[in-house]
Amino acid sequence: MAKARAIIKRLRAVRNIRKITRTMELIATARFKRAMDRATEASAYTKKINEIVADLAQADLKIDHPLLQQREEVKNAIVLVITANRGLCGGYNASVLRQGLSRIQELRRGDVTTQVEVAGKRGISVMGFQGYELERTYTHFEDKPSFEEVNELAERYIAEFTDGTIDRLDVAWMEFRTASRQEALVETLLPIGNLQGAEKVEDAEPSASVDYEFLPSAEEILEEIVPAAFKARLFKCFLDAAVSEQIFRMVAMKGATENADEMIGDLKQRYNRARQQQITSELAEIIGGAAALE
Amino acid sequence: MSTATATNVGQVTQVIGSIFDAEFEESHLPDIYNACIVDAETKGNTIKVTGEVQQHLGGGRVRCVALGSTDGMVRGMQVTDTGGPLSVPVGKGTLGRVFNVLGDPIDGRGDVEHDVRWPIHRPAPKLEDLSAKTELFETGIKVVDLLTPFVRGGKAGLFGGAGLGKTVILTELIARIASQHGGYAVFAGVGERTREGNDLWLEMQETEMGKDETGRIRHVIEQTCMVFGQMNEPPGARLRVALSALTMAEWFRDETGMDTLLFIDNIFRFSQAGSEVSALLGRMPSAVGYQPTLGTEQGELQERITSTNKGAITSVQAVYVPADDPTDPAPATAFSHLDAFIYLERRIAERGLYPAIDPLASSSRILDPQYVGDRHFNCARRVQQILQRYRELQDIIAILGVDELNEEDKQVVHRARRIEQFLSQPFIVAEPFTGKPGEVTSLADTIRSFEEICDGKWDHLPESAFRYVGSIEQAEEQAKRMQES
Repeated sequence: MAKARAIIKRLRAVRNIRKITRTMELIATARFKRAMDRATEASAYTKKINEIVADLAQADLKIDHPLLQQREEVKNAIVLVITANRGLCGGYNASVLRQGLSRIQELRRGDVTTQVEVAGKRGISVMGFQGYELERTYTHFEDKPSFEEVNELAERYIAEFTDGTIDRLDVAWMEFRTASRQEALVETLLPIGNLQGAEKVEDAEPSASVDYEFLPSAEEILEEIVPAAFKARLFKCFLDAAVSEQIFRMVAMKGATENADEMIGDLKQRYNRARQQQITSELAEIIGGAAALE
Repeated sequence: MSTATATNVGQVTQVIGSIFDAEFEESHLPDIYNACIVDAETKGNTIKVTGEVQQHLGGGRVRCVALGSTDGMVRGMQVTDTGGPLSVPVGKGTLGRVFNVLGDPIDGRGDVEHDVRWPIHRPAPKLEDLSAKTELFETGIKVVDLLTPFVRGGKAGLFGGAGLGKTVILTELIARIASQHGGYAVFAGVGERTREGNDLWLEMQETEMGKDETGRIRHVIEQTCMVFGQMNEPPGARLRVALSALTMAEWFRDETGMDTLLFIDNIFRFSQAGSEVSALLGRMPSAVGYQPTLGTEQGELQERITSTNKGAITSVQAVYVPADDPTDPAPATAFSHLDAFIYLERRIAERGLYPAIDPLASSSRILDPQYVGDRHFNCARRVQQILQRYRELQDIIAILGVDELNEEDKQVVHRARRIEQFLSQPFIVAEPFTGKPGEVTSLADTIRSFEEICDGKWDHLPESAFRYVGSIEQAEEQAKRMQES
């Protein structure tokens, strides 16, 4: 009986886990919908603003904005890794962290003083365990990051970049492409150098032919639009991260629930067998005993 | 043996399978455990069967267990009481020979030179004669030395279901221990495949163990005597063959004072034979259909396998575990007699990791800082802790995946998987199958290797580098080779 009881105990534990994974799956499905709407809305804006910046860059103007300056020597950098506050989302955190860590190591090998900033409890605990010193940590970005919160961050980065405290800002996050395709990326957001890179994504549109008239002046517009583009891009990272997290969770929990179901079936069968075996042996003993008494 | 006189001769009155009843004169009943011989001719066939008296039924009748086949036995045949229990030849003349349960040689090399025969039923050594020494017995098998260290002069059991490699480990131990061991060895084949016995016999004739004074190469068989009562024998023979072998081993212990090795494959068959006989004797079956005397029978045998202040018997016994259920009464009774307990696990064998020893279920009496020292003990405990944690996490990993574990647990899983692989080891006797020469790893190397794995020194090596190697340096080499290819 000891064996059968041990199986029951395990069965109960697996059932409880299944309850959790099933619930998480449902929650993730609901949240995913909302997060995706936000991300797609924001992506339209980001796309347009990137387009304009790219156009400006191509408009053969003398662009001179501090955020666009490539520093000759990179001495100080910040790497921001955007992970989730919660687990139960499969390989989401692990793959973002892998990207972030490889960039950090790469920078440090190049003798760049690298500060590490992490958003999300999961990332904080992993980095802490691996012995990284974390400059700043953020845990207030949930699945609905607000623009004000991101803006605060962005303002600080802009300030630090302009006054020369940092020469570079890299962000590692999970990019949301479509509902079935996400990719962990690490990209340099400051200086805004790789406009071409941003452009590549929307290279389908031949927008270069547009002729702009600047009012009051190109410089003033740049002054406005370059930080705005950066902020929008950073904000997009957070939004992407939020959607991707939900998608990953949905997929992971679906798999987990299925695994649990399979395990429950297996354990049930084993329990039934153990129980039946016990009954058979008890019967055999009773019958044997009775026969021996005759 | 004593000759037949009118008073010690009786008649067969009933034959049931391998049990027969005989009638003697009321005043000349043979004692319990006396050997009675039926030697007669029927329809042109001669039969010669020795029986052992088990019960006095009243009215001059006794019930005997036949130690050979009862085919052709009929009522009315003459039964001769030999006046004492079955006895087997003992002494140095038995070395290099193969016997059956009756002590008759079956290797076709003629008679055995012997001065004395000892009865197979003997009392266990007295309490005051027992040796109190406790000393580790190194085997060179990593998992055994680390987690289930053997005791010199102690008893070790190999528990396992069908086809997990009990016999392979046993022959490996013979190859490792017997070839380096100065004393004598006795092998008892109890109810196992005859073919395996034959293989072992041939192998022992080939295995060398150094040279003697004249420079002649000596073989393991010259220091070994073998007793077989295999699957094809009737239950009576399988029930008594272990005792015959033990009696020969006892002679070596008591008369030569040398360390003696006793290998028994398989002690479960002894219990099983007892159960078959028990039913025929009309005893009421007890738990799971076993004989009610299961514990007594086992105790009588096991208590004799012990070290005294005259000499030591170190014994290794294979124990079959029916249906992989170690709570079955037969293995469970054997368990309590052993110093070192090795449990073979099917899940490990299924992954192709041999020896398939379960590091958590196996244990040893001397895995205690008092005997093995703090370093060994702590190392073994750390290994077990890591593996235990991994086992606890396995359900979670199966459902949610490794990514959901926290960092400490991930590290535990990482090391546990390496330790699992590292517990495997190439065997000397398995060389034809694995193509790798057997590895003998010293205890110091074993402990150091496991300590380093637990400390995380080898976290960077791939898992498969740890498979089938000796010490940790070999794992490193294997990793290099794998990278190159």
